[in-house]
Amino acid sequence: MRSVILQAINGISLGALLFLLSSGFTLTFGLMRVVNMAYGAYYLLGGYIGLTIARATGSFELAIVGGGLAVVVLGYGVDRFLIRPIGSNHLAQVLLTVGVAFVIGEVCLAIWGGDNLKIPTSAYLRGSIVLPGELYYPKYRFALILFGIFAAISLWLLYHKTQIGAVVRAGVDDREMVNATGINVDRLFVLVSALASFFAGVAGVVGGAFLTLNPGAEWDILVLALVVVIIGGLGSLEGAILGSVIVGLLDAYGRWLLPEFSYFVLFGPMAVLLLFRVTGIFGKEH
Amino acid sequence: MMRLLLAIIALAVVLAVPAFAGEFWTTLLTQIMIFALLALSADLLLGSAGLFSLCQASFFAVAAYTTAILQVRHGVGTLIAAPAGVLAGTLLALVFAFAVRTRGVYFILITLAFGYIVWGVAYRWASFTGGDNGVTNVPLPAIGPLRVTGTTQYYYVVLVVVLLCVWAYRILTASPFGLSLRGIKSSETRMRSLGYDIGRHLYMAFVLAGVFASIAGVLYVYHNRFINPVAGSFPVSVEAVLMAIIGGSGTILGPFIGAGIVLILRNWVSGFFHYYTGMLGIVFIVTVLWAPKGIMGLIARWKSGDRGEGV
Amino acid sequence: MTAAIQVDRLAKAFGGLRAVDEVSIAIPPGERRVLIGPNGAGKTTLFNCIAGTHRPTSGRVLMFGTDISQMPENRRTALGMGRTFQISNVCTDLTVLENLLLAVLGTDRRKWIVYRSTGAFPGLHDRVLAGLAKVGLADRADEPVKFLSYGERRQLELALALSSHPKVLLLDEPCAGLSPSERQKLFQTVSALPRDITLIMIEHDIDIALALADRVTVLHHGRVILDGTPDEVQSNAQVREVYFGHV
Repeated sequence: MRSVILQAINGISLGALLFLLSSGFTLTFGLMRVVNMAYGAYYLLGGYIGLTIARATGSFELAIVGGGLAVVVLGYGVDRFLIRPIGSNHLAQVLLTVGVAFVIGEVCLAIWGGDNLKIPTSAYLRGSIVLPGELYYPKYRFALILFGIFAAISLWLLYHKTQIGAVVRAGVDDREMVNATGINVDRLFVLVSALASFFAGVAGVVGGAFLTLNPGAEWDILVLALVVVIIGGLGSLEGAILGSVIVGLLDAYGRWLLPEFSYFVLFGPMAVLLLFRVTGIFGKEH
Repeated sequence: MMRLLLAIIALAVVLAVPAFAGEFWTTLLTQIMIFALLALSADLLLGSAGLFSLCQASFFAVAAYTTAILQVRHGVGTLIAAPAGVLAGTLLALVFAFAVRTRGVYFILITLAFGYIVWGVAYRWASFTGGDNGVTNVPLPAIGPLRVTGTTQYYYVVLVVVLLCVWAYRILTASPFGLSLRGIKSSETRMRSLGYDIGRHLYMAFVLAGVFASIAGVLYVYHNRFINPVAGSFPVSVEAVLMAIIGGSGTILGPFIGAGIVLILRNWVSGFFHYYTGMLGIVFIVTVLWAPKGIMGLIARWKSGDRGEGV
Repeated sequence: MTAAIQVDRLAKAFGGLRAVDEVSIAIPPGERRVLIGPNGAGKTTLFNCIAGTHRPTSGRVLMFGTDISQMPENRRTALGMGRTFQISNVCTDLTVLENLLLAVLGTDRRKWIVYRSTGAFPGLHDRVLAGLAKVGLADRADEPVKFLSYGERRQLELALALSSHPKVLLLDEPCAGLSPSERQKLFQTVSALPRDITLIMIEHDIDIALALADRVTVLHHGRVILDGTPDEVQSNAQVREVYFGHV
């Protein structure tokens, strides 16, 4: 029983991390129909940069902001000079951004090496808290869950209560309509994409403090984020929230109960879902 | 006439390679042919049907593992182990082929996720697959008294199998079924109203592509002599697609040219440069930005006097 | 006698909007029926429900007595339905010949064959070339469709729909976007079709519509307001009002 609860918290905290990554992917897709497979690499790079900052300054908060901002700059360059020229061809987008991810991964390997690295957190985030029933659980993971909830609420407000969000939602439903309203979608995309990149970089730092940063981690996390997006439905923020929790829980329980087939536990339900609902829970045809 | 002559010359050169080129090139060419077959399988979906599959390495790896495990652990002969490998890969394709219920981005993402299932099982189910170390000491193929004893002989085995596959592939793409795939790529709605059940055609295309990938996997395991999860990983799948595109998607020669370029580059670059993956990433980017129709596309443009229409 | 196409209290709603509202029509075999009505009258929606692009919200579509309401398009084709699209829809990456090959094979089990190239089937290419000759495209057989003019594509599309020898042929504004001379040519091709083919078409060009039709169904706001001969339609006051915009 204790394990069931602990694994649930594990799963939800992983879900919080996945939400940071998948929300960016799903919103940029919704707005611009851009498939960016480099988000995993953004995550890893953000994490490594955060690590360097944390080591240099001793500040975890500075690491989070710095890791996020560094990725914003990189993400803007990739959008502007590589993705934009190739247009709306998904095949080209996937190949191109996989290429970008390979290059980023290699650069990270060259700079930070191949070891498993962890980012040191602030003192107040270390240690455990005691839950009812003598359950000890790392403070950091709880903070992560709170952070994820905070991010989800902020994004939800942005998405549903602001002009920017209204345009993004309209873009998810009907691209032509948005173009017809005379809103500069390109400029809005820069903004949304910057936000997505920032989240990916931040995810790298907060993830790098409890998972590890290592070559290949970018693909592990990207695949989880993609499953979130597939389950939740491309372009849907609610889908990303629900999908993150589902994938986080499946991953935690899968690793615990069926370690050898944990990937199967993760992807099996996804496959079954898709047999019945091709566009995920909240998704629409694209 | 010209084409026939070229084909004969090419065949003569390929047949003579082991005689004058030495072991290094013979091995490399064997590898190129095997991966070209994998690229061809990706391109059956991409070039003909317009589906971008990111799990071709799964069939490749499952076929390879099956053959390796049967040969190494159970002492089963090549006559059974090799067809069993192809069968296992094909059975997996029968399951994964349900991905054709989706299109576009969903298809790309789902095949990617499927690919990760196979990689994950190969990696984590260590008691059966050998985990990270994989299955080692795979013998060279032998059927009764006929034994392959070295790289040169195996080169010819691969050459014959790959040529047979290319021949089958050619007929397939020119057949009513192959034509229907190109029709589906061009206009699904039109094809539906002409009486085609799109889902079943794409399903069958997916399975056929799985067969080619599985054959490549079996050829690979006897060539490499061991198999580990890397063979089923995402980079292998995406590299197969890249090979097809670099060479020229929708052609038969294209995947061979692409496999040649990528593998020669890898061998050459790894000689003096540690960071091969980054190099490959740059190849991806350059191809997409400047040669989206690949080498065959450039040739076609050059032949047509550069009317600016491409292919 | 069983109707070739019988539409039975058919309704189709998109969200809250009822594009087609309880429409019933019976079209006997061999009849040429034209659907007319102002924009938004529900012609295309009704047409698409018959063709299988849409599934009706309620009601039924029967073809020669068989309920086809929920049947996918490819099975309707196998039962003897052919159609053209409002906006030219052909496989533009393929040649004219390949398009027609696909059309001929569409209702043929041989479409599943993988071990033999299309050129190796005796008589297949000849049959296709004969079909092309009928619409005057025989000399362009090996041309990729993307190099054809719009008028030629419409001719090709008609050839595609006819090559499965349909019993019921649905034409969605076949003359849309054509020049007057191309219209005339297409009009002649359609008039010359065998009389045993049941024809259902949407047409905006009222002269062509009335000249081709045996009967005309006038739709307005998703309902049938008149079902009659071309003469009756021309003289009906209500139709004049909603369709021609004056009394």
